[in-house]
Amino acid sequence: MNTSAIENVYLPKVAVVEGLNDEIPDVKTVHWSLVNPEDQKAFVSSFKPGQFCLITIPGKGEFTLSLPPSPTEGKTFFTLRKVGVCSTAFQQYKPGDKFGLRGPFGNGFPMESYYGKNIVIVAGGIGLIPLRSTIVYILGNRDKFKDLQIYYGAKNPETLMYADDLKKWEKGGAQFHLTVDSASPGYTGDIGVVGSLFKKYKPNVENTVAFVCGPPIMFRFVIKDLLDLGFKESAIVSTLERYMKCGVGKCGHCCVGVAYVCADGPVFTYEQLKRLGEVI
Amino acid sequence: MKARILNRADVLKVIDQLRGQGYEVMAPFLGRGQDSVFDVVTSENRDQVQIHVPNPYYPPKRFVFPHMEHTMTIHKEADGGLSFEPKYEAPKRAVFGIRSCDTRGIYHLKRFFMGRDFQDIYLGLKRENLFLVNVVCTDRDLDIGDQCFCMCSDSGPAARENFDLQLMDLGMDEFMAVAGTPAGEALFAAPFYRKCTQAHVDRRAVVLEEARKKLKDATTWFSGAVRYVTTGKVSEKTWQEIGNRCMECGGCTFVCPVCTCFTVTDREVAPDEIERLRVWDSCAFSGFTRMAGGHNPRKAVHDRRNRRFFRKLHHYFVQRELSVACIGCGRCAEVCHGEIGMPSVVEIIRRASMESAEQ
Repeated sequence: MNTSAIENVYLPKVAVVEGLNDEIPDVKTVHWSLVNPEDQKAFVSSFKPGQFCLITIPGKGEFTLSLPPSPTEGKTFFTLRKVGVCSTAFQQYKPGDKFGLRGPFGNGFPMESYYGKNIVIVAGGIGLIPLRSTIVYILGNRDKFKDLQIYYGAKNPETLMYADDLKKWEKGGAQFHLTVDSASPGYTGDIGVVGSLFKKYKPNVENTVAFVCGPPIMFRFVIKDLLDLGFKESAIVSTLERYMKCGVGKCGHCCVGVAYVCADGPVFTYEQLKRLGEVI
Repeated sequence: MKARILNRADVLKVIDQLRGQGYEVMAPFLGRGQDSVFDVVTSENRDQVQIHVPNPYYPPKRFVFPHMEHTMTIHKEADGGLSFEPKYEAPKRAVFGIRSCDTRGIYHLKRFFMGRDFQDIYLGLKRENLFLVNVVCTDRDLDIGDQCFCMCSDSGPAARENFDLQLMDLGMDEFMAVAGTPAGEALFAAPFYRKCTQAHVDRRAVVLEEARKKLKDATTWFSGAVRYVTTGKVSEKTWQEIGNRCMECGGCTFVCPVCTCFTVTDREVAPDEIERLRVWDSCAFSGFTRMAGGHNPRKAVHDRRNRRFFRKLHHYFVQRELSVACIGCGRCAEVCHGEIGMPSVVEIIRRASMESAEQ
């Protein structure tokens, strides 16, 4: 083996911010492209729904962001909440500012294996960010999938993500059900946890795959609801979030049981999650 | 494999040969008391190099995976430009006196860092330039520590592979040299290597048997523990018992020759220049899995301590890397304040499983 010919997987490529827009309080979308047009072309044609990148904010550090765009869109952007040092700094970026990018990493959702199936999407809060990719992918390949049902819950009507997209998705052929934990004046839709929508708007169960993403507490309840509805453990897929330092299965921070989330995941079926050997 | 015999008085000439070839040679030296350490051999300290010596705590892992490594420099230019400049450091280096367990450790690190989908160029380059002179542990008092269990992890007392040259004290002022690679064999061109006879080979077997006898005192129930961890038979209560004894110092992971976890940190060295470092990290620390925003999937100490042994004992990882992430050196047992080095953990698992079998 010629060691010096090995690609340095830790070396970021340079990307430039093209624009930012607000989503909900504390959450922004950053549109970007890789500076080298060849790299950008290669990136857009290679990433899959459910994958993620590692972003270097010079002087702050490197952090992980999931990829919300679908490869069918031809766009590249991140949506992030302001929580730590890096995300706070990234939200203050202006068009033209540069950052480092590695990826795409991770297994992603095996979308081809779900052709011909009904899809149920269950998202809570900013859990919609990684699932946005799958929704747009399904709508972009509408004839390859059967029904698309989206169940989305947020804290209140002001924190519903991707407001413009939500309307487009409904028109594009998705059944869309929203709920909020607490309503504000003028809101006439459903109120309650996202699982409460299942009783009112029956999801498909036969020949169906459910994608679940949201905060840990919501995740536990939704899994139970789905199993009660008759979903097989192998028909529930989710994507995990962990602290990561390398993205390539070496640094050890993202391990859950026998899996390195970055290299073996982040997408796992519930059946797999149960067998990892560690409580998630 | 070719073997030769050399006199005790000529053993350190192996170091001279390597230095003559341009290698920076690291060898064990004795500090005050019984502390030992790998250090650079110079013309001044060459005669103080130890052959029989307690294995240094600070593992030779650092010759392929340094505890702190400058991996790249990030340049921020005044016009808003940004660039990443990788830094590779891979000196032509030889380790003289590396123990059999630690040669297995270097092998494991290569399996892990160079295996699967992504390869680690930093470790790869260093390993490529590293020459290993393994010295077999034969001295019952000096070489073999109370906590050694290489017989259980099948990594000693004499390494069978992964070295360039192996030296073994046959007694009677004679050492046997075995070449593991063409580069090691090339050293035999020097006149002080003599032909090896059947009598030497027979003596080797006797010496090894003696070493094994001493090591037998420290055998553990390693493979049994692998089976219990893999099949999920270690109860939460047992993991808690182990976790309760952990003081979260991280010592076990830092002296471990095969622990691979690291963190990455950036430090500003000039207004336009940032150094990216990779630094050893430990799964014992509470911040190891803590995410931005504060959520920590492994909050309890036993969840974290459980992690180290799960990673090392679960057969899934053994299959994946075709190498065990424990080499039986006993360092974790030597440094642990809570008496939960690998041998005690194996013992706790064994005891718990016996108790549950009796019920």
